[in-house]
Amino acid sequence: MLKIKEGSVVHWAVRVACVLAIAIFIVYIPTHSETARIGQFASAFTLIIAAMSLNLVLGYTGQISIGHSAFFGIGGYTAAILIRDHGWSPGYTFYAAAIIAFIVGCLIAMPVLRIRGAYLALVTLAVAVLFPTLLRWKKLEWLTSGAKGIDSVKYDKLPVWPFLGELKGRDGRAVFAYWLGLLVLVIAFLICRGLIKSRVGRSLIAIRDNETAAAVMGVNVTRTKVLIFGISASLCALAGVLSTLSTGVVTPDGQYVTLLGSIIFLLIMVVGGAGTLSGPIIGGLVYVWLDNTTRGIGTDSRGVVGFIFGWTNQSPATLILGLALIVIMLFAPTGLVGLFRKLSRRIVTIEPQGQ
Amino acid sequence: MSLLQTTGLRASYGQVDVLLGIDIEVNQGEMVVILGANGAGKTTTMRAVSGTIPRSGSIVFDGHEIVTQNAESIVRLGIAHVPQGRGTFSDLTVEENLRIGAYIRKDSVESDIERWFETFPRLGERKSQKAGSLSGGEQQMLAIARALMSRPRLLLCDEPSLGLAPLVTQELFGVLKSLNQQEGLSVLLVEQNANLALKIANKVYLLETGQVVASGDAESIAGDERIRRAYLGG
Amino acid sequence: MERLLQYVFDGLSFGAIYALLALGLVVVFRGTGHLNFAQGEMAMFCTFIVWQINDWGVPLILAVAIGMLFGFALGAGAEATVIRSVAKKSPGGVFVVSIALFLGLNSLATMIWDRAEGYTMKSLFPNKDVDFVRILGAEWRYKYIGVLIVALALMGLLFLLFSKTKFGLAMRSVASNPESARLVGVPSGLVLASSWGIAAAMGALSGALVGGINGQLTPSLMFAVFIYASAAATLGGLDSPGGAVIAGLSIGIGEQLVAGYAPGWIGQDLKLSVALILIFVVLLVKPSGLFGSLKVERV
Repeated sequence: MLKIKEGSVVHWAVRVACVLAIAIFIVYIPTHSETARIGQFASAFTLIIAAMSLNLVLGYTGQISIGHSAFFGIGGYTAAILIRDHGWSPGYTFYAAAIIAFIVGCLIAMPVLRIRGAYLALVTLAVAVLFPTLLRWKKLEWLTSGAKGIDSVKYDKLPVWPFLGELKGRDGRAVFAYWLGLLVLVIAFLICRGLIKSRVGRSLIAIRDNETAAAVMGVNVTRTKVLIFGISASLCALAGVLSTLSTGVVTPDGQYVTLLGSIIFLLIMVVGGAGTLSGPIIGGLVYVWLDNTTRGIGTDSRGVVGFIFGWTNQSPATLILGLALIVIMLFAPTGLVGLFRKLSRRIVTIEPQGQ
Repeated sequence: MSLLQTTGLRASYGQVDVLLGIDIEVNQGEMVVILGANGAGKTTTMRAVSGTIPRSGSIVFDGHEIVTQNAESIVRLGIAHVPQGRGTFSDLTVEENLRIGAYIRKDSVESDIERWFETFPRLGERKSQKAGSLSGGEQQMLAIARALMSRPRLLLCDEPSLGLAPLVTQELFGVLKSLNQQEGLSVLLVEQNANLALKIANKVYLLETGQVVASGDAESIAGDERIRRAYLGG
Repeated sequence: MERLLQYVFDGLSFGAIYALLALGLVVVFRGTGHLNFAQGEMAMFCTFIVWQINDWGVPLILAVAIGMLFGFALGAGAEATVIRSVAKKSPGGVFVVSIALFLGLNSLATMIWDRAEGYTMKSLFPNKDVDFVRILGAEWRYKYIGVLIVALALMGLLFLLFSKTKFGLAMRSVASNPESARLVGVPSGLVLASSWGIAAAMGALSGALVGGINGQLTPSLMFAVFIYASAAATLGGLDSPGGAVIAGLSIGIGEQLVAGYAPGWIGQDLKLSVALILIFVVLLVKPSGLFGSLKVERV
């Protein structure tokens, strides 16, 4: 087993190498891969942001929300309506969406957070079920365009810098969504990190571990929870804006606007590692990879898949996705980040300084 | 004759070793007390014997090696464990608590229920109340009665006096004493209140950081100056 | 008045089905503290099994019994093999596993029974146009009466199991205090697996009843029913079987009343929404449902 001293030359070298590798990878994707791949990463970024927003609520306060698809939808629709009907520039819709979702989030949180645990899960599930019906409601059609949704939402062209990947006649929207997604992801990550390291963050963790004790120590439990729920809602709305900008479409049946969306965000968070900063990132990348790989398994597959599923003319994609999720949970019950830490500790240990 | 004999009993929580090789023996009909400070490993010893935590070494009960057996089968062999904090089923009624205590038995349990209601009249008065609504002392009585419903040969009793008023504690110890002396029930008792425990015990083990540091019959331990000063407050 | 009676009666039959599925959720929640999001899909899958066995020529009533046994095995098997080992290490993991079961079962059903237009499901009860009695002016169809009777009978049996048998006592003891249950010798593993099994078997029956009423069987059979059932379980209190039944029946009736009497501007689409919003309001007043118990936490 390798031992590395914290702050030593080797430690720094490893760190620099990691950062460089990630940076090269980030630039390589939009400049050298096909449009579909770029789009997959853009949608991974979107999902990661949504899972991060849930992580704030669940990972750090122990509360479950299955209603975040509604906030995602609020973001998506805010962007689409402002751009199409009011001629806004896409960039500004982020602020509008964040503010609207924050207000709605706080309004929902104030009464709802009295409810706990599994009850809260089911109440927020109701929010997720209600939201698409509301979008389709005849009385709101003037705003939401009803069941057919809003399409052909414009996006901004990026400045033409070669390393951004805009050259070579690539699909501008995918590249735009990729970089914008990355930017918002970094901002969302920094917000979450800041929240957790701050005094508020510590009080959050206090709430998760013991609410009564936190109250006794002078943490305003209700206000903190409502505030966090609002912030989480606006982060999720940012993901919704991104999704609208990258696909140009938003409908009441869009998979992230419905209950399915909430479930996917939760899956990503738990698979990656609930309550860890990097969990949603790992979870999001793995989920999008799994989803695309299994989706690629058609009904005419050969090899092992063809051998096992030759009897059906339906795609086994979802079944394999389900099985994969079960396997991940069996081997990494606390998430992939936990598994990764456990495995890497067997290979390398970083020794703290001064020991 | 030896009813329970542990040899080199070890247990740990995660990376932390809590029991570092405990040797204790309970003979048929004896009342044995384990004394020690908080964190010495008293409760862990009890849990190791009743099989609620992973452990290693050897535990021989009535000629059977039980260190590899789980809690469910150990009850069937005749060890009943009254856990610390009582562990009553608060959503079940008092009578249901007693019935579930006799889960392993196939025969009729009505006469046993009657008997414990006679021994603890206050439980009889509250037999259709939820156990969660009882006072601390009543819950402790219920926990002991529930354990005895399985007709054990060895009763493990973990700090029954915790949080109880002195009068209630005395009543409880009176019952334990008469069970032990009149019915020949073997008891392994963990107790913080050493003065009280020494009065009813035959044999005493003194635990410190996961090891037995002294043992002997109750009189000699009570007479030992060093032990008196360290554990018995004078 | 006739209209009102008709709505109430139809509502009772649907409500009984919601109550059956909701009871399944409650049995699992009481035993393990988890929500089984795959409850509806397990029921759907079992209903396909029932259809298949019936299609092979076995009488429907026998097929339903076999389907319920299959459901028991499916539920108990899922608990014993996957749920238990994940639950020990991460409560969030159980959510993922139940969603994975949801996805997997739905996909598997689509693969095995792949006719796009679905399958024709027979009803357990007489179901011709003339099969009804008229009571107080309302049409009481035999199939609805049958559903109501079967569902109520099964609930009755379940209450007897819970309150009168040793096994029921063991189940309640595991729900109340798992550690102490082990100490008195209750085989908690067996009990937990059985709770999942019983829940899934009840789901199988509710699926067969829904299929019989609809006359049609597709993999999306239980989506809406599951939403109503989870609403019923929440409304009644997740740890209260009696609450689940009362809430299930009320939601069934409420749904029919809203659909029948609601002003035009609400529309059929918002039928479900009205039910959910009402539940919302109830929960704001009583955060653990109408009949659920609030756990008192000690610091």
